[in-house]
Amino acid sequence: MRIGVFICHCGSNIAGTVDVRAVAQAAKGFADVVYASDTMYACSEPGQEGIIQAVREHNLDGVVVASCTPRMHEPTFRRTVERAGLNRYCFEMANIREHVSWIGKDTERNTIKATELVRMAVEKLRRNRPLTPKRFDVTKRVLVVGGGVAGIQAALDCAEGGQEVVLVEREQSIGGKMAKLDKTFPTIDCSSCVLGPKMVDVAQHPKITLHTMAEVESVSGYVGNFQVTIRKKARFVDWEKCTGCGLCMEKCPSRKAPDPFNEYLCTAPTINIPFPQAIPKKAAINPETCIMKQKGKCGLCAKICPVKCIDFDQQDELVTVDVGAIVVATGYDLFDWHKYPQYGQGRYPDVITSLQYERLLSASGPTGGHIKRPSDGKEPKTVVFIQCVGSRDRSVDRPYCSGFCCMYTAKQAILTKDHIPDSQSYVFYMDIRSPGKAYDEFTRRAMEEYGAQYVRGRVAMIYPKGDQLIVRGADTLAGTQVEVAADLVVLAVGVEAARGAAVLGEKLRVVPDQYGFFVESHPKLRPVETNTAGVFLAGACQGPKDIPASVAQGSAAAAKVLALLVKDQLESDPQVSRVTPARCVGCGKCVQTCPFGAIKLVEDRFGNPKAEVVETVCQGCGICTVTCPQGAIQLEHFTDNQILAEVQALCPPRIRVNYAS
Amino acid sequence: MVEALKTAIAERLADLEMVIGWEMGFDALHATPLFIREEGDLHRLTLGPLAVHNLATYLPGLKGKKVGVVVKGCDSRSVIQLANEGLIKREDITVFGLCCDGVISHRKLREALPADLGFVEQATWHSDRLQAVVAGHAVEVRLQDILADKCISCRYPNALAADVLVGAARTPAPQPVPCQDAFDALPQAEKLAFWEATMARCIRCYACRNACPLCVCRDHCIATTRDPLWLGQENSPAENFMFQMIHVLHLAGRCTECGECERSCPVDIPLLLLRRSMNRVTEELFDYQAGTTPGQTPPLLTFQVEEARINERGW
Ligand SMILES: Cc1cc2nc3c(=O)[nH]c(=O)nc-3n(C[C@H](O)[C@H](O)[C@H](O)COP(=O)(O)OP(=O)(O)OC[C@H]3O[C@@H](n4cnc5c(N)ncnc54)[C@H](O)[C@@H]3O)c2cc1C
Ligand code: SF4
Ligand code: SF4
Ligand code: SF4
Ligand code: SF4
Repeated sequence: MRIGVFICHCGSNIAGTVDVRAVAQAAKGFADVVYASDTMYACSEPGQEGIIQAVREHNLDGVVVASCTPRMHEPTFRRTVERAGLNRYCFEMANIREHVSWIGKDTERNTIKATELVRMAVEKLRRNRPLTPKRFDVTKRVLVVGGGVAGIQAALDCAEGGQEVVLVEREQSIGGKMAKLDKTFPTIDCSSCVLGPKMVDVAQHPKITLHTMAEVESVSGYVGNFQVTIRKKARFVDWEKCTGCGLCMEKCPSRKAPDPFNEYLCTAPTINIPFPQAIPKKAAINPETCIMKQKGKCGLCAKICPVKCIDFDQQDELVTVDVGAIVVATGYDLFDWHKYPQYGQGRYPDVITSLQYERLLSASGPTGGHIKRPSDGKEPKTVVFIQCVGSRDRSVDRPYCSGFCCMYTAKQAILTKDHIPDSQSYVFYMDIRSPGKAYDEFTRRAMEEYGAQYVRGRVAMIYPKGDQLIVRGADTLAGTQVEVAADLVVLAVGVEAARGAAVLGEKLRVVPDQYGFFVESHPKLRPVETNTAGVFLAGACQGPKDIPASVAQGSAAAAKVLALLVKDQLESDPQVSRVTPARCVGCGKCVQTCPFGAIKLVEDRFGNPKAEVVETVCQGCGICTVTCPQGAIQLEHFTDNQILAEVQALCPPRIRVNYAS
Repeated sequence: MVEALKTAIAERLADLEMVIGWEMGFDALHATPLFIREEGDLHRLTLGPLAVHNLATYLPGLKGKKVGVVVKGCDSRSVIQLANEGLIKREDITVFGLCCDGVISHRKLREALPADLGFVEQATWHSDRLQAVVAGHAVEVRLQDILADKCISCRYPNALAADVLVGAARTPAPQPVPCQDAFDALPQAEKLAFWEATMARCIRCYACRNACPLCVCRDHCIATTRDPLWLGQENSPAENFMFQMIHVLHLAGRCTECGECERSCPVDIPLLLLRRSMNRVTEELFDYQAGTTPGQTPPLLTFQVEEARINERGW
């Protein structure tokens, strides 16, 4: 091979602590290296031109660039060498920025390490061979997981863009958290008035298929060609027939079913439609509290239903769809505030969460929009809001800011005054974070026009006194203790990843960060992409986000999907496993371990079993290659020999003694 | 016991291509594998503390044939493991299981005798002791003192999943193996020094590999291929140790601790020191002992997003 090596300065990013000239000089001595130089910015236009020229002038057939992480620029340089007429896999990258210059200050040792990384890259490249991708057809359909406002937006935009959409929502209705909210900041417009029409659009759009009470069971395949199995939970009502008339709900004698939509503030009939604007507006039976399901008799709903759609024997149903792209929009859930001892851990009924308070404010909520406290139904005159419950608190492993609690607390303080003019609100806060458009003005209004008392400090304890709750905390600005006798305490509970996000993430091969939020491909430049091609993120599942940001991301994800699905064909990645039949003993171990079911056992012409990789299904994870004891299955571009060559380059065999005495 | 076994084999021999057992070998202290094809071979069958070989090793090579095999408790685990990995078809095999009282270690016997094994003129077993005439002198050795290490730590003396079980079932009484405990207690550097010194002795004959019932790659073993090139043919402690590491890791979650590797090593390398450590790790990590449960999937031959005992994410 004739190899060219290019060592990038990355301005002073690398050159600041690595002697790039010395690395280039050393590279000239490596096997097969015929050209080596340093370059200011390898990825820039002149940098890339320099590489192309060197390939032509020195007749190179392999290129090593030592620069930054391949996550960003490997595709860039692969295109560069391709423009120079080489196969894109005759290229290797050594990461001497993230792995060297950014993590060490000692120029001498950095230079040694950078040289070693380049030596490894050269040794690997010497064993590369040209690979050619295959082309395959793209399935023009998109799956959206999660029907909160972000998922709804993504689904509508994709459908408007002409693609078929399958929307999967775990709950009975779409709408997510936004459907539970009363009014929304910073405009105080009614949440269901702005969300409702969008939900109806989803139901009516000819290109959208909606599955609620459904979850993703399994996912196989790859970008452009996913196969998704969806589990539709038994609802014991034939939704084809159900008209949503609600007669059954009125007659059902078992009215103590938990009501998650109302945040468990009240109970619901066992056969229920969660709220009037629900989409789809269909009833479902909770088998846990259904007398018929539990005791075998009752069946009142079945008798009363005018269209006879009750079906007590209904089972879960599995539906399979082929899609080309997936948008994950599973949103968030609230932190379990019971972990804090200071708020009573559930002993006091009048300590509630912010989301429960939204239900108390809402006209469709359990109190018909009148604020009545849970304990005795009295109208509270003094309401204390406590912010950052489970946010910005290392002691409960939630060091991050939940982003929108400052804003909705101000909103709730304003709405409290609107509902009960002679009330007084207190807000315990750490800092006010309101950087959005018209946001800071909004929090000011809560204080200045609506008279909410803002106290900067943490609450140390809450204890009951008479029918009130004494909230004791510090006012860190005044440097004093404060005590407020409250009728109701509302906790602005922090946000965490949606329940079950980790399990879904594994099915979709999307990694969660240490707090469970899905990780985007690049925090600045690829905020809606994931590291799994064809899977995109929208809304609060990627991190706390308010409604405007969630909607914007839903549209952004849709734009990515549309740009992908506009193509008829995609290239498959040739970095897949390959079996050497002569070496395969047909033990089937690889077949057992492949997580993607990409390997099958076939018979050769002598009837011996042999493993065979289905190239388009293989994801190149390499599990099979480490399973096969005799190395009969090898991952292209990462063969044992290539990896061993890298190891040897790094740890050259030491002098060995034969038959030491 | 041997008579009961002979009867059981005689009853089934007609349906089987052969039954593999043991017979006395070239001297009074060695048994050797016996391939019983007809009833006339049966009288040669022997059992007892000299029946050291794990006859399950032959089974993968006889895949597709209907054969019977006589197994001790430890050997029976190899049969189960081979079947669980699909390397043999369990229904093709008739397992004649023994309730085993333990076998000897020829190395320990050699060390217990005053002269080389070759000078043993006569040997007779009297319940738990061996009486031998060695170079004209009568010697007596207690079986307990020459028992193989694996028998000391044996948890399964009665053959598992046997089609026919002969002998009176024994209650297992596993004891720790002294040499293992002593080795484990060494500091890391001393362990490495030990292996460097010991592996200098290895002649890379691959007897350990060939004797292992679960080493089924045979001609395709990674130790002898050029592509991929994992090991050079140079005989040095480093390469020899590397070969052992490969063997141990290829047996992770598969090794049944039958001890054939160590028994067959012509230069007495204590190979089980490595196998036992690795088996302990697999047991701790996966709650798994190879070859003890028919139909079980070995932990490394499956893909699991999350392992019950490995905490991969701390939240
Ligand atoms: C008390 C409170 C008040 C708020 N007030 C405002 C406000 O006034 N203005 C504002 O801008 N923001 C407000 N917010 C923030 C707002 O709720 C979020 O910005 C918004 O809901 C995020 O939308 P989303 O679609 O990303 O997530 P979500 O609304 O959480 O929707 C996610 C959806 O995905 C579903 N799902 C989850 N997991 C799965 C799965 N595995 N399979 C299928 N479906 C799944 C869920 O059931 C849910 O329907 C408030 C938040 C709270 C807590
Ligand atoms: S693990 Fe290796 S030998 Fe076994 S079937 Fe797969 S490729 Fe063939
Ligand atoms: S690399 Fe191997 S285990 Fe991984 S997907 Fe491909 S065939 Fe399956
Ligand atoms: S049997 Fe002993 S000498 Fe032979 S390869 Fe194995 S360890 Fe080395
Ligand atoms: S490695 Fe040794 S002890 Fe383990 S199964 Fe193979 S021969 Fe038996």
